[in-house]
Amino acid sequence: MKRRHFFFYHVVIFIIAQIAWLSLIGLWIYWYVYNYIVYKEVGDHVSPEISFDITNAGPFVIGLVLLVGLSLITIWIFRHLNVQLRLTKLYDTFISNVTHELKSPLSSIQLSLETLKTRDVPREKQKEFVGMMIKDVNRLTRLINSILQIPALEQKKFAYSYQIYSAGSVIKQILNDSIEQFRLPLETVNIEENAICEFVIDIDGLKTVFDNLIDNAVKYSLQPVKINVNISCTTQKVVIEFNDNGIGIAPKELKKVFNKFHRVYHQNIPNVKGTGLGLYQVKEIIKNHGGKIYIFSEGDGKGTTFKIELPIYQVFKKRFLTNLLKRSEQKKQLEIINE
Amino acid sequence: MNNSTFEKHRILLVEDEENLAIGLQYNLTEEGYIVELAKDGREALKHFETKKIDLIILDIMIPYIDGFEIARRVRKKDPQMPILMLTARTTREDKVKGLELGADDYITKPFHLDELLLRIKGMLKRKTWYKDVTSGKPLVGFGKNKINFENLSCSNGKNDFNLTPQEAMVMKYLIENKGKIVSRKELLENVWHLNPDIETRTVDNFIARLRKYFEVDPSKPVYIKSVRSAGYMFED
Repeated sequence: MKRRHFFFYHVVIFIIAQIAWLSLIGLWIYWYVYNYIVYKEVGDHVSPEISFDITNAGPFVIGLVLLVGLSLITIWIFRHLNVQLRLTKLYDTFISNVTHELKSPLSSIQLSLETLKTRDVPREKQKEFVGMMIKDVNRLTRLINSILQIPALEQKKFAYSYQIYSAGSVIKQILNDSIEQFRLPLETVNIEENAICEFVIDIDGLKTVFDNLIDNAVKYSLQPVKINVNISCTTQKVVIEFNDNGIGIAPKELKKVFNKFHRVYHQNIPNVKGTGLGLYQVKEIIKNHGGKIYIFSEGDGKGTTFKIELPIYQVFKKRFLTNLLKRSEQKKQLEIINE
Repeated sequence: MNNSTFEKHRILLVEDEENLAIGLQYNLTEEGYIVELAKDGREALKHFETKKIDLIILDIMIPYIDGFEIARRVRKKDPQMPILMLTARTTREDKVKGLELGADDYITKPFHLDELLLRIKGMLKRKTWYKDVTSGKPLVGFGKNKINFENLSCSNGKNDFNLTPQEAMVMKYLIENKGKIVSRKELLENVWHLNPDIETRTVDNFIARLRKYFEVDPSKPVYIKSVRSAGYMFED
């Protein structure tokens, strides 16, 4: 109901603005034509000294200013309205997705607990139920953390622990951890690494990036997923190319995939679960590392490639290092105080 | 909790959340049901078309073909199949859509195991009860409306359509108690076989749908009347 009122309110303002400026033009023309005719017909008789050649620019200028002002107001209102409506729609989708993502593991935990409470469950099965509950709790924790992380990422207040790593080996290690976490067969991910350079990263941040990319590759694939990762170094940056054999992304969607709450809908795979925060989070993390991320896809069924560029240590050092290491140090101190 | 009466009932469980599906499968099997598990819409339709199913527990947000579409296709082929929607979606629109597409009942996540099992029992019991009560007098008419309780086909003078088993049972109960006030509680106990504390709104949803079918102006009902703070009454 509130949304309807909100929409109605903006439409009414728009209609009033339209009526106002149309009336203004009407009145303005009427006034001008009327005066012109009157002066032309009777002006000579009443006051011959009035010169018709003198143009009075005042009404024109004021009229034009008002007209431009009204047009700008109308445009502003409609831009505002569209942004609001889009945000409301995205927010609704987000709430609906998050609700689903929260309720599913919660239902599973409740069912496991009630089963253990009401039935005489054999010992082996009990272990299975406990294992499922732990998995669901972890899923809830990840979801809540990812939601809570967003404002911190946006305000650059996220407490990273930046350290210097050897690029190739650490990315390989992160990828292998993710493969294990997603229980993917080892042959699913093929890693080609030729990156003998160092970079400064927060290992948990980069793990979140690859977790999200792998999760998407698995979810948006009609066939068994196959991922190729290529890691290399240039004189300036570490380049990671992450390619999957999934359903691909339509060209018009490519620009939007990093937007907050945006979900890609594909008719061949409807009802893919998620919050619309994953790739947004990925983009923010890479940005906070001083890097860039690009996405390429040749369209339906052609797979997707993400290209991540992160500055190597020597470049990174000049621009960010002091600041980032200081922040990491502050985080460590806070952890010591909390302990 | 075991009940030998239901030993041979085969339930199609359509749920893509792995842990929830395992938990439900275990509990339903313990209750004596045979469970067929489908992780997505395609598998669900395949099971439905190839096996003799007595009841379907259906999640809405499942891959490939969603629960609403499954309900629609199932209802088209088998108007009497009991369908229980089990979903995390709680909006009124979702619930109404689910019930309109032919779900007999709707339960939201997270749910209580006892409640779910009771509803399943109720639905299976109703299926049997329905066969019994309709065997005597399957054809009923009032005004321009005609209902065949055997094959659930109806006509309201303008359109021909089918009732869902649940709608038919509510209608049957009201008609059998013509001229008497039937409370929501009574309907829940006798048609749904449920504890009336659970949800009286479900009854109101069904009545609204029946009025849409059989009343010329559903806002001014002639046949299915509301009796303030008492319930409903059918009058011919």
